[in-house]
Amino acid sequence: MLRIRSSTARLAILYVCSIVISVATLLGTAYLLTQRSLAREVDLVITTELDSLRDEFDDGGLDQLTEELNRRAEDWRRTSAVYLLVDKDGQRIAGNLSSWPALHGQSGPWVEFDIIATDEDPKIQHPVRAEIYSFGDMRLLVGTDVSERQRLVSQLRAATLWGIGLTALLTSLIGWWYSRRIAARVGKAALACESIISGDLRQRLPEDQSHDEFDQLAMAVNHVLDRIEQQTATVRTTFESAAHDLRAPLHRIRTRLEAALQGSQLSELGRLSMTATVTDLERIQRTLATLLQIAQAESAVQVTAGRRVDLAELARSIGELYGAEARERGLALSVTAPEAESVQGNDQLLAQLLANLLENAIKYVPRGGHISIEVGANNGRPLLLVRDDGPGIPAAARASVLLPFRRLDRDATVEGSGLGLSLVAALMRLHGGTVELADNNPGLVVRCEFPPAT
Amino acid sequence: MQILLVEDDADAAGHIAQGLRDAGYAVQHCADGAEAQQALAATQYDLLIVDRMLPHVDGLVLVDELRQRGGKTPVLVLSALGSVDNRIEGLRAGGDDYLVKPFAFAELLARVEALLRRASGDVQHVGVLRIADLELNVLARRVTRGGKEIDLTAKEFQLLEYLMRRIGQVITRTMLLENVWNLHFDPQTNLIDVHISRLRQAIDKGYEKPLLHTIRGAGYTIRLQE
Repeated sequence: MLRIRSSTARLAILYVCSIVISVATLLGTAYLLTQRSLAREVDLVITTELDSLRDEFDDGGLDQLTEELNRRAEDWRRTSAVYLLVDKDGQRIAGNLSSWPALHGQSGPWVEFDIIATDEDPKIQHPVRAEIYSFGDMRLLVGTDVSERQRLVSQLRAATLWGIGLTALLTSLIGWWYSRRIAARVGKAALACESIISGDLRQRLPEDQSHDEFDQLAMAVNHVLDRIEQQTATVRTTFESAAHDLRAPLHRIRTRLEAALQGSQLSELGRLSMTATVTDLERIQRTLATLLQIAQAESAVQVTAGRRVDLAELARSIGELYGAEARERGLALSVTAPEAESVQGNDQLLAQLLANLLENAIKYVPRGGHISIEVGANNGRPLLLVRDDGPGIPAAARASVLLPFRRLDRDATVEGSGLGLSLVAALMRLHGGTVELADNNPGLVVRCEFPPAT
Repeated sequence: MQILLVEDDADAAGHIAQGLRDAGYAVQHCADGAEAQQALAATQYDLLIVDRMLPHVDGLVLVDELRQRGGKTPVLVLSALGSVDNRIEGLRAGGDDYLVKPFAFAELLARVEALLRRASGDVQHVGVLRIADLELNVLARRVTRGGKEIDLTAKEFQLLEYLMRRIGQVITRTMLLENVWNLHFDPQTNLIDVHISRLRQAIDKGYEKPLLHTIRGAGYTIRLQE
């Protein structure tokens, strides 16, 4: 069965059906009642006529009946009445019919047949309804021309059918138009929502100043978005100013320390502690820079319209850069990539993403381990995988390590900021892709899936 | 060599200016854009170091004005804005190099030196580069030392070529990452050191005079130490 996904279309169809059924019932009933009462009226006129003729016969016998019949038959044009009295052989005695009509098997008393008026030109058939009454071996037929009634009934039938048809057509048109209109409005709103989800907080749902329910809903949602945007902006500027304000004094401290280290009057102990301080400062500065970058990536609009970046080439290049370092630490690093695999994005950010994953692997995989970078595609969606056979990450912790500053307890002694994987997650989101941590049996596999390059 | 430093942070400017003077450069300091415009109109500088975040004006506007007037002075842009987009903006506006704050002074000094050398045409553009008995043929992709062929990977070759075009110049790790690997971010490990030490193994090991030297706290240089 046809499945209609739009609820407004379903509602419209339901309304159209119920309106058409109601109208059809109403008009149909009126039609049937009118038709029946018209038929009954004709029968009543005929019966009354027949009764009065029977009275004539009872009063004055055959002669009076014949006379009365002839008199009444004169006015056929006026009354549209049809009379015929025949004897036992079917020979006409009186009336305005020339002969007994062909009844095609109708036995009476009620019969219907057609006559052709002799004084008319052109010859038109007139439908007649009549009642037959027998006096001994004579038969009396009394009827009336029902063409007028039939025309009325057929006009009524046509009007009824037109009414139902027009109602169906009009309600369908209105329903279609209305559901299209609602679908279009909801579609626009959905489109705006998608772009908001992808990071463009300045987007708003379309408002049309009609102040209908949809407009009110759009306005309410837009108010919510205004608030969110305002709060996000506040948090972001506060965070960015804080980061910038921290950077300046940190920079000055570092410059002063460096200047002091250039001097010659320092003791060896002072020199060592100042050098260690500079190293710590560098770490703080790096953490701050990474945090800023995560914040920027989280609040930026997706790089859907970025340049084409060859993921395979990137994997080879970054693999080569880190290969030497990995070998130095007794690790084997391999790259498996096709000739080319394009993604849409920013080459520097993607390089940093892969670099972060490799730095993690090099840091945590013990000597003798293997790291591999794999580039491929899954149903047209480019894939970047970094596998290792190191300690891995317990399933329960895989989601949380993607959040800033979340580290595994067992790594507490290993130096690190806990920001590397959150930057990876933020950068993947920026590229419209997903990142997933899984078990490599043993070890960790980080699976980055990108949207198809257009 | 005359350098104009445009930086509103007095403390940072003081240290940078002092460091540059110690390195033998003449430095003039301006704390805002208007002052810098006057200075630029009055004097011909060899190098302009400009902070992006100046009071009232984006440092890039200053660079743009300079380029509009046809000024060819090399420009080093300093910025706390470190995203890739900011960097591209900075270079597009006419900056020749872009350094993200905070940076080590040695990094700044190396960049200044590189820009000044480049402006004075002191970068080897020939197809065959030589120092002592080490020879690098760019077109033939061949490296020999004392006539003996040395086998290098493609990246090692690029690395050596970059260094040999700038003999005697201090090259920082970041400069190598940017120019040899085209990467504009700081890796957390000593990646470049590993590559340099492999290159050193290839070209210096077993030879009497080492050519590839580490400058402590700054970077590397290729030179013949007398």
